[in-house]
This record gives sequence, C-alpha cells and structure tokens, in this order.
Amino acid sequence: MSVPKFRTSINDFLEGLPETVLIRLFYSPATCLAIFRLLPAMAQLFIMAMLFNDKPVAATDLNLWVQEGSTSKQYDALEKLRGMHLVKQSQGMLTLQKTFRAGLRNALSGGDHNNSFGIPCDTEDKHKVDIEFLDEHANNQWELILHFMVGTDTGKIPNNGVLSLLRHSGLMEGSTPANMRITNAGFQFLLQDVNAQIWTLLLQYLNMSEDLHMDAVEVLHFLFMLGSLELGQDYSLAALSPTQKIMLDDLRDYGIVYQRKSSSRRFYPTRLATTLTSDTGALLTASASMDSAIAQKERDTGFVILETNFKVYAYTDSPLQIAVLNLFVHLRSRFANMVTGQISRESVRKALSNGITADQIVTYLTVHAHPQMRKSTPLLPPTVVDQIRLWQLEMERMKAVEGYLYSDFSSKSEYDTIAGYARDLGVMTWEKPNKRMFFVSKEGNQQIVDFVRRKVHSGA
Amino acid sequence: MPRAVKGVLVECDPSIKALILSIDSKSHNIVLADLDDEHLLIDVPMLEHVKRQLDSQLAENTFKPAELDDIQRK
Repeated sequence: MSVPKFRTSINDFLEGLPETVLIRLFYSPATCLAIFRLLPAMAQLFIMAMLFNDKPVAATDLNLWVQEGSTSKQYDALEKLRGMHLVKQSQGMLTLQKTFRAGLRNALSGGDHNNSFGIPCDTEDKHKVDIEFLDEHANNQWELILHFMVGTDTGKIPNNGVLSLLRHSGLMEGSTPANMRITNAGFQFLLQDVNAQIWTLLLQYLNMSEDLHMDAVEVLHFLFMLGSLELGQDYSLAALSPTQKIMLDDLRDYGIVYQRKSSSRRFYPTRLATTLTSDTGALLTASASMDSAIAQKERDTGFVILETNFKVYAYTDSPLQIAVLNLFVHLRSRFANMVTGQISRESVRKALSNGITADQIVTYLTVHAHPQMRKSTPLLPPTVVDQIRLWQLEMERMKAVEGYLYSDFSSKSEYDTIAGYARDLGVMTWEKPNKRMFFVSKEGNQQIVDFVRRKVHSGA
Repeated sequence: MPRAVKGVLVECDPSIKALILSIDSKSHNIVLADLDDEHLLIDVPMLEHVKRQLDSQLAENTFKPAELDDIQRK
C-alpha cells in the first residue's frame, strides 16, 4: 500500500538531515511527539523503555524485549533510531539523545513552555466556524487541486502557489494554467489516498522552501505542530515566526488550514492537518478519534463494485472519482448517483502506458470497494485481478536489445577466446556455443572489435 | 575470421516468435536470423514496425466483451 511508503519517505527525509538540524528540531516537544508517532512500533517500544531511565541501557538488554525470530525487525528499528540520531551507541550501551528525551518527556507529561503545540485563542471568535464547515472547506480546497489536475472544468483555478508546487513536483507540466497537463507522476499521485497525497505535496514544499531560503527546521516544526492540533479549535498567530506566517498563506491554499481573511489573527486547522502524523488508530484525543471514525464511515465508504465479468459499477457522483476511474475503466453510462463501465484490455493498456501499474489499479479497487464487496473473500474477483496483471505482462512480452551477432568462427578455440572475453566484460546478452554464435550489446561491441583485430594481427 | 551482423536481439516466448515469423513471411525483410526457440535477430529499423504489427495482431486475437455488448444492444 502507498501509505507506509510515504510514511517512510518523511522518515527518510528526516534521516537525511544532518545531526545539528535534527537536534534543533528536537527542541520542540510537538516535533518530538510527531517523530515518535512516525516510528515503527518496535522503535517506539525501545524509546519508551529508555525514556524515563536516565542511565544508559545495555544493547543486549533489548534482546529480552524482542521475540526470537524478530531480530531483523530489531535491527531495522535500531538502525532507524541511529539514523535519526535518536539513540547513541557506545561500548554496547545505548543512550537516548538528551534533547529528544527532554522534548518527548515534556510532550507526554506536560510542562511545555515553548508553545510548540500552538496557542488556542483566548478571545471568542465572532465568526466561529464548526467542524462540518472545516471539513467542507478542506474538501473543497483539496478537490479543487485534484480537479484541476484531471482537467475537470470547474471554472476555478488554484492559486499561483499551488500551480508552481504542482509544476515543481513534476505532477503537471506547462507554463500557463490553460496549457498545464498532468504527467505520469501525476496519474500515480491521483491513485493514492489523501494522506499520502498531502505528504507528497508537503515534501515537495519542503524541497522548494529550501530554494526560497526558508528555514527547513521552522517549516518542519510548523508541519508537526499542525499534526498535533485539535480540530475545531482556533489558534492564535502570535506564536508563529515570520516564516511560519508565510507558510500559513500557502497551506491555506491547500485546505490544510482555514483563515477567514489573510489578515485574521487566528487560524483553524482542518482534518487534513490534524491527521498528518496519525494513523486513524492513533489520534490525539478520544473525541477526535471518535469524530474521525464516524466521518470515515460516512465519507470513505467504498463505492466501487467489480464483477467477475469485468463490469464496474461505481456509486458516486463526484466528477473527481469518475475522472480517476476513467483512467483505467472504459466508462459506458452515467446515472444520477452512479456510473457503469467495463475494464477492458484497451482501458488497462491505456492506463499502463500512462505509467500506472497493475498493482496500483488493484490497490485502488481494493481500497474503494463497496461494502457489499467486502462480504466476499477474496475481496476482488481473482479472475479480474489476474487478468489485469497479465495485461501488464503482455506489455512486456518482447525484450529487444540492439547490438551485434557474431558468427562464422573458424575454430572452437577462436570462439572460446573471443566469447570468453565478451563474457568477462559482461557485454554478452546471448550465446549458443554449439552453433558458435553469440550476441553483444551495442555499447560493448567496440571493445570486442578491437580485441578481434588484435587477435588477428598477432595471429597473422 | 568471425563475422559480426548488426541487429536487434529479440527475446520472447515461442508464441510471439511465431507471430513475428508470420509477419516476416510477407516481406522477408525483417528477420535476419532465427537463433533458437526464444531468440530472433531482426533488422534495427524494422523494430518499431514489428512492435506495431504485433500489437495490432494481438489486439485482433483478443475477445472484446465491450464491443460484443454494443452489437447485442443493436
């Protein structure tokens, strides 16, 4: 699935940062908590074991925590911790990074004086907005971007910041809004779930912010802070740095935060922000997790029915969902609340040639399967799944290598020396010793020609 | 003195190889050497032509339920 991949990619980004930058990140308790939440479960276990223990822990003690047969997981977890400079190892003893220990303790037991979790506004908002409004706002903003990508005519165009981000990330190409076209990467982007999509864009935003001389630490602090805010609460701009205020403008365009006016002194995080660093099972408060569970039920129920005869019925009226389905389904008729279509060789091949993989199609169909489909195991008809994979294989039925075929060797020994030379160079792609023939790739041919010339000269 | 022939080595399963040979049987200007069950040497400029022909032949050989439906409706 795509989610773990993107989770690791924000982790990868963090691992790529130099130690000094990471330590600056650890000064914010909210960031420490967010980093903790992004770690694999085994690494979290190790950190918890060391968090309230000031003395170093022997590396061998960790073995007692781990079941036999899970040593590879233990190794991965330790690698990750060391890569992010969370844990130091010397002479077989492990120590938790000082700043991180203080930050995470602060986050868990309170007593945060940095306001890294955001400051709720103490004055009443005259134009207070509720959670439904925020959800709708976030959805509208986000879908505007997605609609623009698939080219639905909504009459609205996202702001310049969004456009340049799309261009910069290679999801779309073209210089003016009118001639911008979606790229192959863009198609793959559309098939991911929202959380992965947001992280993709935010990581691109991070890359771009470095070019704009924004401080990556402040950008990350802000993103991780957003992940720990509570939905429906308004927060004051007072605690934000100038960089973060600039970011707020951009994030407003993505629908991650809501501000009534750009001059407003308060902002509301939307659901897109508050779920940034959480799995649904690990939401910040009980009430928030309830909310999201209910919302998930209402919003994220699947709508696609796939039959063994390759017919697709999708109960949706969203132009966006229809546009995404249109990437790999041959759509036939549209009704008020559903569309019907057919998965065919042509429609899948079209998707494959756009750079979408068979696995992505299967994942998309699995994730968005109608509740009715969930009663059957396996979820999707195996015939269809297999056929989609076969169509992908069919695209690669022929492998072609350009080069030269050597034949007509006068003796076996001549063949053996020259073929042996080609084999050692690693340029031979095919050989048939009993017919004294072999094939050399175009790149390696010159060396063989030179070798043969030398041989002939020395022999003559 | 060995001889070197410029070409494209095509690796494919026997069914595809049979199809390429049948495309070649019309003009005899594509396949330079029939190497073994899964390998052929073909002329470099003809590669794109072979790929196109192969695609259209394979498309002809597949069952298209979508079109069938349309015909039934009429």
